[in-house]
Amino acid sequence: MQSVHSELPSRQTAATSSSMTNKIDHSQLCQWLKAVAVDRDKQAFTGVFKFFAPKIQRIAQSKLNNEALAAEVLQDTMSNVWRKAHLFDESKGAATTWVYTIMRNVTFDLLRKIKANKEDNLSDDIWPLAESLNTEDESFTDHIQSRNLLGVIETLPENQQQVVKGFYFMEMSQEQLAVHLNLPLGTIKSRLRLALGKLKLKLGEHHD
Amino acid sequence: MIKHHPKFSLLQSFVDGELPASLAAGIAIHAEMCPLCQQKITQLTEQVAEASFEDNFTESFVSELIDSVVTTTATELDFDDIIGQITASDDVEPTKPVSVERSVSFKGTEYVLPNALRNMALGKTAQIGKLSRARILLDEGEIHTNLLHIGAGGSIPEHTHKGFELTLLLAGTFADEQGEYVQGDFIMLDKRHQHQPATEQGCLCYTVANDALHFTQGINKLLNPIGAFIY
Repeated sequence: MQSVHSELPSRQTAATSSSMTNKIDHSQLCQWLKAVAVDRDKQAFTGVFKFFAPKIQRIAQSKLNNEALAAEVLQDTMSNVWRKAHLFDESKGAATTWVYTIMRNVTFDLLRKIKANKEDNLSDDIWPLAESLNTEDESFTDHIQSRNLLGVIETLPENQQQVVKGFYFMEMSQEQLAVHLNLPLGTIKSRLRLALGKLKLKLGEHHD
Repeated sequence: MIKHHPKFSLLQSFVDGELPASLAAGIAIHAEMCPLCQQKITQLTEQVAEASFEDNFTESFVSELIDSVVTTTATELDFDDIIGQITASDDVEPTKPVSVERSVSFKGTEYVLPNALRNMALGKTAQIGKLSRARILLDEGEIHTNLLHIGAGGSIPEHTHKGFELTLLLAGTFADEQGEYVQGDFIMLDKRHQHQPATEQGCLCYTVANDALHFTQGINKLLNPIGAFIY
């Protein structure tokens, strides 16, 4: 069987043009979603489906530990994508975030149906689809900056990445990170220092 | 200003969808009033999403689960068939979701409920003195969720918890030994804590607890039925 990614035509070019990540072709996903929204384009939907479906299936399987339920999550998530594509707003967040939100909500409602025997579908009240994404212009700029920065951060060694991401993106303190990563505080501090030195060098190339 | 926030691990579980509805709603209500936590949730969601749909992530899943279950389902499910079923439907979600405001009344005061609670079933309001309680019927076993109204000048006698107790202040203020609390404060206590909240003006709280409150002082021990009432 071919890998999913060989079916994504513009993956190669996106890998060099996108600073956010070279693993997921975000612009292709957005294009497909737009085509689904505007033209009800089944071909584009197939593209979205083939990208997400195997991953949703695996995630749901590991979470629910039941094949039939995992298939239900897949089916519900993807039909929501089909029905709600016009509500997706690229400027408010990545396609992956949007689909993740749908998948998480579908899974939550399904689990509640099983555990509490309640079909109250509370998830969209708890995690509203549109509002759960960033809406303020100011934080949106930040958000773009964060993405560019993320590209640079991902060139760091893994252990430094963890510390930098935790500190800047998740706003954890150095002490919290030490506990979270089960490392001495001194190690956290020196990794952060090393990483910042490298980041300054790399960002300086473009920003000075 | 809001001073009490959910801890990071709770935000993580919230984003992962792993909390019971009661606690997830508590975090959603807090985040609606707290831009700081909202921002963290947004970023965390983005990162979790990115990681979930990256190749590395899902591949590591597969190697963990070792062929059997996952690969057999993958071959059994006919993706083209599912795509066909889904795209055969012309249903489109309305652009503006209908949002109906919902309010409740305690002792003559109307309170608009936060969005996260607007579709939850409420039980009848019961009263003991200045305390009014409406159960939120989530059916989560030992986890009980309530709207708790404390009338002006009211208090809850000093108590402790066997489990956890979340108090989220929806309206008004109250104070305990730790200080003053304001609307949006997310106060998570466990059995190590003792407190005695009192309110001058009255307040409405969203509470989640997994065991009855336990009153600790002298004559107040007689009040332990109130602990059960609040739980």
